[in-house]
Formats: sequence, C-alpha cells, structure tokens
Amino acid sequence: MSLELLPGEVLLILGPSGSGKSTLALALNGLIPHAVPATLTGSVRVGERETVGASVATLSETVAMVFQDPDTQMITGSVLDEVCFGPENLGLPVAEVLERAETALREVDLWERRTENPDRLSGGGRQRLAIACALAMRSPVLVLDEPTANLDPAGIEEVYRVLARVVSRGDRSVVLIEHNLDPAMHLVDRVLVLDALGRTAFLGDAHEILRTHTAELLALGVWLPVSLMAALRLREAGIVLDPLPLTPDELTAGLRAHALPALNSEPRQTAGIWDSPILRVSNLTLRRGRREVLRDINLSLDAGSFLAVIGTNGAGKTTLVQAIAGVIPPPRGTVSLAGLDPARLDVRTLTSRVGFVFQNPENQFVTYTVADELAHGLRLRGIDAEIVDARVDDLLGRFALTEAREQHPFLLSGGQKRRLSVGTALVAGAPILALDEPTFGQDRARANELLGLLHELNAGGTTIIVVSHDLQLVADYATHVAVMRDGELVGMGPRDEILADEELLLTAGLRMPPLIRAMRGLKEHPTWRSITRLDELPGHPDDLVSTPNGGAE
Amino acid sequence: MSGVRGAGLDPYRADVQGPLAARREYLYGLNPISKIFGPAPAMVLVLVSTTMFTPLCFVILCALLMLTGLRWQRSSLLTLALALPAFILVFGISFSLWADQRHTAHTPVVFEIGSFALTSGALDIGFTTALRLAALFGLALTGGLSSTGPDLVRSSIQHLKLPYRIGYTALAAYRFVPRFGYELESIRQAHRVRGMSPGRGPIASTRRSMGYVVPLLTGAIRHAGRVSLAMDARAFGAHDTRTERHLVPMRRRDWFFMIGFWIFTAAVLAIAIWRG
Repeated sequence: MSLELLPGEVLLILGPSGSGKSTLALALNGLIPHAVPATLTGSVRVGERETVGASVATLSETVAMVFQDPDTQMITGSVLDEVCFGPENLGLPVAEVLERAETALREVDLWERRTENPDRLSGGGRQRLAIACALAMRSPVLVLDEPTANLDPAGIEEVYRVLARVVSRGDRSVVLIEHNLDPAMHLVDRVLVLDALGRTAFLGDAHEILRTHTAELLALGVWLPVSLMAALRLREAGIVLDPLPLTPDELTAGLRAHALPALNSEPRQTAGIWDSPILRVSNLTLRRGRREVLRDINLSLDAGSFLAVIGTNGAGKTTLVQAIAGVIPPPRGTVSLAGLDPARLDVRTLTSRVGFVFQNPENQFVTYTVADELAHGLRLRGIDAEIVDARVDDLLGRFALTEAREQHPFLLSGGQKRRLSVGTALVAGAPILALDEPTFGQDRARANELLGLLHELNAGGTTIIVVSHDLQLVADYATHVAVMRDGELVGMGPRDEILADEELLLTAGLRMPPLIRAMRGLKEHPTWRSITRLDELPGHPDDLVSTPNGGAE
Repeated sequence: MSGVRGAGLDPYRADVQGPLAARREYLYGLNPISKIFGPAPAMVLVLVSTTMFTPLCFVILCALLMLTGLRWQRSSLLTLALALPAFILVFGISFSLWADQRHTAHTPVVFEIGSFALTSGALDIGFTTALRLAALFGLALTGGLSSTGPDLVRSSIQHLKLPYRIGYTALAAYRFVPRFGYELESIRQAHRVRGMSPGRGPIASTRRSMGYVVPLLTGAIRHAGRVSLAMDARAFGAHDTRTERHLVPMRRRDWFFMIGFWIFTAAVLAIAIWRG
C-alpha cells in the first residue's frame, strides 16, 4: 500500500477488524518493526527519515501516539509529571519542558489539575491527558488508535472537544483510527479504507468516499456513521436524503427539509415475558470501608427482561450487578432471586440461579481445555459423565466453539473467549445472566456479535442484565434501563422512556446516542421523535402511511 | 487536593512532599540516600549487639529524630507514646519466655508461677532482643516514613549512577501495584463464583492461590507490554541522558546528617566496647 500524509490534514483510517489498522499506526512511528517483531517490506518514510533505519525514540519526535487504553499510558504520579515525561526524554532544558507541559495541559483543560494523581481523573480526563502528553512532544504528526473505545459518552465528548481544538490549529497532521464515527466526521478531511487483507480499498476525500461508495464499504464490513446507516434505510422506504448525512446534525437537517409521513405507532413492547418479578432488590445499601458505594437501591425485574445498567465510570453499576449476582455478598434480605437470597446460597446453588460474566473473561477460566471449562460447573455437581458430555457438546455447538474444544481457553480469540465465558456462566442452567461491561475494549463488530448472542438467549427466555456505557447498544437490545449515579439508582424503567429523558441522562453524566439525538431534533414530526433504533425507521415503502404529516399531532 | 496534611502522603506525590513540609519537619527535606546510608552501619551494629545499651541508644535517637523531624498529629503522638513502650514490654516478656533456660539457669529468679521460674538472665535476653527489634524498626522508619520511592529512584540516578532506563522502569512498575491488587481481587471473585476449591484451611487456600497465578501473569505481561509501547512512543530511552526536573541534591545538611549518624554510631560502639 502507498499513502502520503499531507501537513495539517486529518486522515481517518477505516477497515474491518483484522485489516491491519493498528498495525499501520504502529508502523508509522516505527514501533513496528522495532518494538514489535515483524517483516516490513517497502518503506515508511517520516519527514526525511526511513523508519527502518531510525530508532523508535527518535521517530517519536516526529510521530506522537495516543493508544486505546488510557491506563496503559500513565507512567508517573502526577498530571504535570506525566506530560513532562516525553519532553524530559528528549533531553530538553527544564524551562522548555515546563513551557511545553503548560501549553499542552491548557490545550486539554487540565492545567488546573496538574498536581493530581492521574488515577483520580475520569476515563475521559485520562485520555485527554494522554493527548496532552502526545502534544507536548510537539511532533508534526499525531496518531490516535481508537482513542474513545474505552470511554463513557461524556468522556467521548470531552476527547472530541479537545481534538477539534487541536485540529483547528492546523499545525499538525492527525491520523485517526476510530469506530465511533458520528462525533468524528466533522473533523475528518480524508479517509483511507483498508480491505480485509490490509490493502488500500479507497483513499480520498472522506465525505465524498463515504457518500459515493457506501455499498462497497458496507460489503467490506466497515462501520459507517449511524446517521448514514439511518439515511440508507430511509432510502429503501423512498425517503431520499441528498446529500447523505454523516453526522446527527446533518440527519436532522435533512429530515426536517422533507415532508415526512406519519409513522404507524407500533404497539409498545410489553415488559418481560411472564410478568412476574424474577429479581427484586429492596433497600440495598453497600459499604466499602466507610464509603457507601450503593445507597438504598430498590428495583424489581420481570423474567425475560433485558436490563442495561448504565452510568459513568465509578457510578456503582458493576457493584450493583455483582451484589445482585452474589459475587459480592449483599446484606441479607436485600436481594431476592425468584425468592432465594444470594447472601444465603452456597456457590453451587447460586450459579444455578444466576451466571456472572466478568469484564475480563480470562479471569474466570479455571481449566486447561475449552470442553473442560464448560464441563467444570456440571462435574462440581456430581452429574453423570454422559449427561455432562452431551450438555458440553450442545453448548459447544450453540456458542460456535466445537472446533476449539481441545484448545487452552487462554489461546482463544477475544470473541471466542467471551462466548466461552457466557457458556460457562449458563452451563448450570441459570435463568439469569449478568455481564460486566461485555463490550469493553472490543471493536463494534465483536460487540454486536456478542449482543446478538445475548439477544438470542433473551428471546429463549433468559433474563439478561448488562453493565454498559454504550448507549446505542443499549438502545438496540435492552428492554429496560437502570441509570446509576454516585451509588444511587436515579432512574429505572422501559428503555424508550429512559432514553427519551435527556435531562436524566445528562445529570447522570451520559449523552444521547447519535440516532436518538438526531430524531429528537425533528420537532415537526412527533411520531418520528421517539425513534431510538435503526430498525424502527421505515425500511420499506409499505411502512409509511400515505398522507404526509404537516406537523400536527 | 489542598496543600495541607494528607496531601503529601500520596505515595506517588513524593516530589511535593519536601516543599510542602514545614521547615521544622526537616527529615522530609533530606536526601533519601543520606537517610539510607546514614543509619546503615547502625543497623549492622544493632544486629550484632548483645547488650541492651547499644539498641537503647538508637531507640532513643530515632525517637528523638522522628519526634522532631516528622509531621505529627496528636493521635499519632499518642500512638508513639503508648505503642513504643507497649511493643518493648510485650515483646520483651514474650522473648524472655523463649530464652534458652540452660544459659540463664544460674541467674537469680525474679518470680515463679508454679514450677515455671522467670530468671533475670532470661528477662535480660528478652528485653535486649525486643530493643534490638525496636531499634531496627526505628532506623528503617526514620528514613522510610520521610522519603518516597520516586525520590529514592531519582536520587539513585543522580548520585549512584543508576541507569535511568532501569530507574524509571522501576518507577513505572510502581504503578502496577494497585492495579495488580485490583486484578487479583477480580480473579479471586471470578474463581469463587466458578466454585474453585471451596473450603478453609491452608491446603484449600494454597490450591486456590495456584489458580490465580496464570491469569494474573497473563494480564501482567499484556499490561507491561502495552505500557512499554506507550513509553517507547514517548521517546523513553532515546538519548543517553534525560532531563531531570526534580533535582534531589546532596546538600551540606545531607552530609551533616549522614556523617553525624556515623559519628554517633562510632561513639556508641566505642562506649559499648569500653563498658565491656
């Protein structure tokens, strides 16, 4: 592949997972082939230098990087020291180190917090700090590899606010690898699209390529802005938006220019399947040391629901779900799982009532092969070997792991590990499955694959509880939403009700997902305003009522 | 974070601790190296000493240094006033009970409970041992409580020619500790939920711990790899030297403290020999 980066431009790199986007990013600043062994043919030339001849450290003066996980980028004990770390490595005089650090920290609005420990910043704050660290290198090229993948919506907003400021200076070229395209599109000049084999599929003006080659991009498995996906769906129904929108604002503007027909208001989904609470939490308060991490929580959930617990980092989402699943013993009498109290159950009974999937699936693997891993929970119960084998075979098939049955769980791919951990949680027949941030650090393709699996399980009657801060995933799959803030449950109800409550989301530090934001802007079309999911949009001419809606109720 | 008490106690925020401390709290302002090398010969002396005199001298010296040079709150002063004598008393009596009776049988009996006699020789051995322990703690804590890891690393790079690539890597590793604590807790919870080796007792708990090793190491190696990529990407190791913003100089007072400590140690040794 060939690529030239122009001074001052923002280049977006897109491609299906495994197409080598991150590899390209690492090659740009010489970490490939220097720190990561690899064979590089052809050449990467940064400024005047070939990367192969120059050391990583000298190249890092030209190319600065921001990685996906802010935690792995923090080295020192204070915000100021962190930003100074790079310039100090360059051996600059102290005065210049400090001057660079101050400029960079002011740019990302962290100067006032310079004496704090980076651990005390929020996820978004730490990622802004990582950007400041890269800025302090004063390199002409800035590479960001999925900088918002681990952040909550407020953090994503912060990062893009800062990036917009950096880009507006126009003194740096930015290379951006990103799946979450809606907030990024207004910054981007050009796009490079890689195909599954890592070859250049398209290279050129980002907005033009996304609009004119949409079908090819979809076929490649590239993620497109939700706003664009919405417009494509609408085109099927005969509502043609021109130009195709790439951001929520453009989608709103495009739709407002149309005389939209009223939508058939679908009957609301009824909550749950059997309408009997399978889970009841009453007056749950949990202390860690002297601090109350959960305060007076009350909720009940019907069997067959799909509950998403949302909130910013540290709001107590994970703790709540862990207490429900008995991972942290809740105070007696506060949680009831179909009449049973997890605080009084032994592990075997508990796991046959509720399965829990940890954020890092590796943490819960205890045996040496995939098949043993699934069989473990059954053998503990002293179940006959034949029944165990049959059940394991069945689960291997259901979770597409038959090929991998003799592999070591640690050697599976990320998606397989996640599926295996779901399988082990369900093997004992638990009617409730709880998952802690199941999409954390995964790309959208894998996240959707997993959520699809959960959706199937849910359709089969399993009650699902997920902790998440990806509100579009919540909108696409959940039936109910619980909003946490500072250890308190500030809102709980059917999905559409909660997601429509912008004030509630804002006070909880969350933001509306792009599609909902675009639809809420349609003041003239009340039947359209409540749309939260792509599949609620008319996707076929028959979905539309023939009479255009003039804005009346 | 305000610049008052507690703020300087963040283990990572070492560099601000010196400036934050009041002038009177002089121990914070000393170079960590002088606080290690100063007491080092004294620690050796205490280790080999057999009389009560030597450790007692250092217990008193360290108590004085800590009282005058550290930041104290009323509650911690109270702890020192009660805990130090209590420590010596409890350990002194306990060690007396453990003392070898053959060596102490000829000494006068202090008191008897039934057939068990506590001799003055045993008390002597017990309290000497307790005082030696207290002196060792004191010598280590005088420097330990008033200096921090980052300062020690910086000072070692500046004065002991420790390569900065090693020193700062160690500093980065410092940050792993709380992360590992968190990871371990999560693994422990996960294994408990999977029903791994339930039960109490050392065997069950050893079996449980063995199971934590692989996931913990896997996570650690992956994390370390990423951190090192991030450090490389910020020119770590690019040049032979690195700008040092926080100088930890060896000032006159550091030499004074260190050499003063040595002189005191030598004096104690001389007196101990003279006393026989």
